[in-house]
Amino acid sequence: MSNPDTSDFSRRRLLQGTALGVAAVPAAGFLAACATSGGDADSEDVTNSGDAENPFGVDPAAPLDVVIFDGGFGDKYAIEGHQVIYKEKFPDAEIIHATEEDIAATQQPRFADGDPPDVLDDSGAGKIAIDALVNDGLLAELTPLLEAPSYDDPNVTVQETLVDGVLKPGIYNGKVYALNYAMGGWAIWYDGKLFEDQGWTAPTSWDEMMDLCAEIKKAGIAPWTYAGQHPYYLWDSLYTLAGRHGGREVSVAIDNLEPKAWEHESVKLAAEALYSLQDKGYVLKGTPGINHIDSQTKFNNREAAFLPCGSWLANEQIDVAPDDFVYSAIGIPPLEGSVQPELVWSSGEEPFVVPEHAKNKPGAYEYLRIMLSKEGSKIFAEKAQSPTILKDQEITNPPAAALASLVTTGENAYRPQLADWYIDFKEQAEPALAELMAGKVTPDEFIGIAQKAADSVAKSDVEKFTQEY
Amino acid sequence: MTPGRTLPYGQWRRLGRIDDIDLYEQKARRSMKHGKGLFVASFLVLPVGLYLWLVILPFIQAFQISLTDWSGYTTGFNYIGFDNFINMWDDPKQWVIPGFRHTGIILLVLPVIVIAMALFFAFMLNVGGRSQGGVSGVRGAGFYKIVYFFPQVLATAIIAIVWAQIYKPPTTGGLLASALQAVGLPYPENGFMGSTGLVLPGIIAVMVWSSVGFYLVYFSSAMAAIPQDIYEAARIDGASRTKTFFKITLPLLWESVQTAWIYLGIIALDGFVLVFMMTPSQGGPNHASEVIGGAIYKFAFGSGNDAGMASAIGVVLFLGVLILTLVSLRVTRRERVEF
Repeated sequence: MSNPDTSDFSRRRLLQGTALGVAAVPAAGFLAACATSGGDADSEDVTNSGDAENPFGVDPAAPLDVVIFDGGFGDKYAIEGHQVIYKEKFPDAEIIHATEEDIAATQQPRFADGDPPDVLDDSGAGKIAIDALVNDGLLAELTPLLEAPSYDDPNVTVQETLVDGVLKPGIYNGKVYALNYAMGGWAIWYDGKLFEDQGWTAPTSWDEMMDLCAEIKKAGIAPWTYAGQHPYYLWDSLYTLAGRHGGREVSVAIDNLEPKAWEHESVKLAAEALYSLQDKGYVLKGTPGINHIDSQTKFNNREAAFLPCGSWLANEQIDVAPDDFVYSAIGIPPLEGSVQPELVWSSGEEPFVVPEHAKNKPGAYEYLRIMLSKEGSKIFAEKAQSPTILKDQEITNPPAAALASLVTTGENAYRPQLADWYIDFKEQAEPALAELMAGKVTPDEFIGIAQKAADSVAKSDVEKFTQEY
Repeated sequence: MTPGRTLPYGQWRRLGRIDDIDLYEQKARRSMKHGKGLFVASFLVLPVGLYLWLVILPFIQAFQISLTDWSGYTTGFNYIGFDNFINMWDDPKQWVIPGFRHTGIILLVLPVIVIAMALFFAFMLNVGGRSQGGVSGVRGAGFYKIVYFFPQVLATAIIAIVWAQIYKPPTTGGLLASALQAVGLPYPENGFMGSTGLVLPGIIAVMVWSSVGFYLVYFSSAMAAIPQDIYEAARIDGASRTKTFFKITLPLLWESVQTAWIYLGIIALDGFVLVFMMTPSQGGPNHASEVIGGAIYKFAFGSGNDAGMASAIGVVLFLGVLILTLVSLRVTRRERVEF
């Protein structure tokens, strides 16, 4: 073979050059692959001008990016309600809506990229811890919203239209960062129709509860069931029993990690009362291993009489419950000698936040203001079957009304935070609570584990919060 | 070809003669023309560059992030040295130590069970039949081969949902527990996933069920490469099925077994999808099914809020796997058998 032609050679050179040139391009975008290379855009604070129509200076053409958690409340109240109102007010604004089941999985990359949504319903098992977001400066504080004129009556500020104390769960470092929109609460639910048919009356004390359970068991129905796979559902039963017996201070001491807070007598009595439920065979067989949907379905099928659950119960089971099911709620019947027998876990739930680096912060604030209007609140009660934090709502939806009637005064409302504030405590104590209800640990053992967990959190250097009412 | 003659791409060297066959070896050209080298390299730059950028670089970043306190949400972080590696072992959340323990158990148990079962099935379906002439599998081998492969076709999510349903307690219609109850055998009242003692074996059982099919096919094809004459010779000598398997099939398949072992080790270390989809609290009940992949996920993307710690666990895992791989490859090394 002779030497390669000079023309062959130059063609090869051309191909080589092209290949090398193409390879150089990705190098420019090279650093974008770094996980840690996100940058922050400058963000402006939103101000309240006091104008009744558009206090935040919303740009009528700017798009609004809303992310809603797909849980017990669903997303209809947003898509068919609040967003319709926003669109009527700002017809040129495009609303970008997303409904997500796992908020952290879908929104964390957006935060890390500096491109978060405008309105975020940060809730559910996959929620992003709000205190983490606050500490990293990623949330806008909501004072301008609260001081703005309310949607319906410009002479009153938004804050004045809300129930007392509902903003507390959203307060970090003295400022409100999260708007807990739904008036949530926990209760022991039962079916009014079943009780009427069987001639049972709701118990008003723990002793009456135990007697009634014996009767229910004789009728072939399991007295209690609960979401065994999610021990979080059991905290209300424990804390409310203890708090009703010893006063709200018992819960405050626990939340504030005070030494020996768990060894208070009321806590011990509450743990023993709950332990006795399975001890006497009043819990549906297999409950410790079933999830929330299964337990709620058993409840709807009248295979179990009592179910501890939160305010979203009716809406979550809307496709399952029989039409004649009458959702009725009581606070857990108090033990003998209770000093605050009307204590109820009730506070704002379902936190809505506005990220600091959102592109349309004024629009986000206006959207929240719309949610807090009378119309917005009515829509939520109808489509999510739960009251909102607005004062003096007329609630026609029965489950929402049942829950709203439990809260009598501000003093009887409380909201334990320990398992939400400290993940270390949650991971140690919640399994123990599940085992207590299942009969695998004794009340004393449970209290020992809980106290140990609380003490270890107190000693560690995670950021501590204070509970006060 | 005539030996010794130079051809464009190298020389042939005569090795010798076996039976009636001449054996030759080709020597590779040692040098290439200048232009050619650069030309080939220029085509490699793009794919290798992409690989470095999208695969290697994130790997290296994991080492960098493990030395920080990055939560995973902010755009900035601080370097904290080796604190993550030290604090990891305090484990207040009880994710790390149970995670390592259970992953270790799966790592020991899963490859052994899957390879043993796959080898047994492959042997029975290819060689173990009692037929008159030739070597074949048991009756219905063709049918079994198809059916055993079914689980491979299913997506992991489907497998998790189906088995979660099967494992439920009798009160909510769990197939397995109800069947045990009906027959009168001891059964878990709270279901398999609700029992701290049964949740990990339950997960491992699902992993075995979903992997055996693939390795059955893998070993089958490796077995098919073994010449029939060897089996016939063994049969003539009166070897039983067991002897044939242990003395002939297994040694000749050893490389495939080694490869399968490594793949299954990787599955054992990666596997947390099943735990997340089937167990209560993604590692429960009471941390009885925590696995290290799950712990990393929870720290990085879950309630742990600590991407730095997640990366640190990843680095520890990487080092552990590296050591394990080197050791196991060394220990299981054997002479390569050619046939």
